[in-house]
Amino acid sequence: MDRTLLVLLAAVVVTGGACLLATASVPAGDRALVATYTGVAALALCATLAFAAHGFQTARRLRGRVATMEAELLRLADETLPGAVKRLRDGASSDTVLASVVQPTGSAHRRILRTLVDEVGRGERMRAAAMSACANAAGRVQALATSMLADLREMENRHDEETLGDLLKLDHATAQAGRLADSIAVLTGARSGRRWTKPIVMESILRGAVGRISAYQRVRIHSTSTAAVAGYAAEGVMHALAELMDNATSFSPPSEEVHVYVEEIHTGIVVTVEDGGLAMSSAALERAEQAVSAEALDLATLSGTRLGLAVVGCLARKHGLTVSFRPSSRGGTGVVVMIPRQLVTQPAPEAAPAGSRAAGAQRRTETASGPGDGAPAATATLTAPANDVAETVAAPDAPTGAAAPAASGTPQAESDTTGENMIAGLPKRRRGQTLAAASAPSEASADAPKKKPAKPLDPGAKFTAFREAGRRKRTGNDAHASEPDDA
Amino acid sequence: MTRSVDREDPDRLYIVTGGRSRVDESSIDSVSLIVSECDPTPGMQSEHVKILRMCTGPKAVVEIAAELGLPVSVVKILLCDLLDTGRITARHPSSAAAPTPGPAKTRLPDPTVLKQVLVGLEKL
Repeated sequence: MDRTLLVLLAAVVVTGGACLLATASVPAGDRALVATYTGVAALALCATLAFAAHGFQTARRLRGRVATMEAELLRLADETLPGAVKRLRDGASSDTVLASVVQPTGSAHRRILRTLVDEVGRGERMRAAAMSACANAAGRVQALATSMLADLREMENRHDEETLGDLLKLDHATAQAGRLADSIAVLTGARSGRRWTKPIVMESILRGAVGRISAYQRVRIHSTSTAAVAGYAAEGVMHALAELMDNATSFSPPSEEVHVYVEEIHTGIVVTVEDGGLAMSSAALERAEQAVSAEALDLATLSGTRLGLAVVGCLARKHGLTVSFRPSSRGGTGVVVMIPRQLVTQPAPEAAPAGSRAAGAQRRTETASGPGDGAPAATATLTAPANDVAETVAAPDAPTGAAAPAASGTPQAESDTTGENMIAGLPKRRRGQTLAAASAPSEASADAPKKKPAKPLDPGAKFTAFREAGRRKRTGNDAHASEPDDA
Repeated sequence: MTRSVDREDPDRLYIVTGGRSRVDESSIDSVSLIVSECDPTPGMQSEHVKILRMCTGPKAVVEIAAELGLPVSVVKILLCDLLDTGRITARHPSSAAAPTPGPAKTRLPDPTVLKQVLVGLEKL
């Protein structure tokens, strides 16, 4: 302002001087006129100059303010707001965030910041509340489903065939409901389903997965794997496989089967789910890969209806599964799931197969040296290979001798069976005995050959062995109660 | 409740039976004796494997059900599968007692004789 005055003063002095000079230099008669005109011109000039000077000054001042404000705005946009939003997303309250950030000087900026932080904070609170409500509800449904499944299982044990069919239907529906609840729980970040307290073998994993989808009868499992998945990860793996199988069954025609293959490799277990539906386009494959990729879940990308792949993605991130999609040789899509080695355990081999065989052999020799058979036969049984066991066991008695020739077709199986019949002759098998004795007087045995139409010749020999076993049992154990026919 | 939840396996019964809840043929009942005819092969359902392993000697259906921890009707379905493929044979326990064309000494004692023995024992 003072500069404007200065300019005005200078202009007044200069123009005033010029006016005086001009007035003085003209003859006296014209002075009044000249003085008037030059005065007017000088006044106009002064005014113009003053305005111009004022304008310049204002412009400079405004430019300065604009620059300051621009810088402040930039800082607000680039630093303050993103920082504030990030802190809000991390769960800080809006007041804490407002107190911690650098306050902009302009009051309008401050208001903008406050409004924005409040709104984002409220949005975050709503999201968190909705998520926790969903997670809570899902958790309750999960708990309900789990206890219902346990109850159903218990009922299935109790009821007969009539009710069993209905119970199985309910069981299936409950398992699917449980999967839905699991999906919501996974997406809302809650804990997933139940935890198994023991490693779950691959067969159970696959069956557990198949059991949770609606079209379970269209899934064919091809697995010889004996590996197990660690208990804490088993539920997640099952759920992810269930979602993939569900996709496979729903995106392939109802007449097509979905095949699941299991392969053990040195880095873990590979499960392949192949359907015979329409092949996915490369763009669709890419989207699917994206959905299950290792990036964090973005809830905004969820479509309302298709949650499966997002769930698989969450589970894959949680357990370190690798999921990839490829066109299937069956015409549809193949999904390859790699279960990492850390999650895979080899369960302790069941004592049953080896143990029972060994015990069986042991018992076999004991039986052979028992009441019925001679000592040489017993030693022969001890050392003889399996095929000879049948002969040895069958030899002492005439009826079982008939079984030995019949065994020639499948030597291994037959010898085992015949050999184990000797086990049945052990005194300790009381239960079969009471059964046999209890129902002894009634029905006829005419239906015996009809039961096995495929091999008409074999059953006779087999049943002779049965009878032999039964006879031995009785003679060995209940000799005091019954009088054997042959005695 | 928690105990039964903890003890459970993840596979449901309808998966074990492939969705069936009953069998048409009634050749197997709860007391039928089952004997396996062959060894389990890789890739078989684990229940089938267990049945084949435990039935090396004759075993009643109810015993198999108890050992597998499965309902009897489910076990019957599993056994029918095995029976249809000829991997097991089933026999009713009473058939051992009935007169057969086989040698006389394989027959069970006559019930009347048993009764007489019982009466004799009671008199002791």
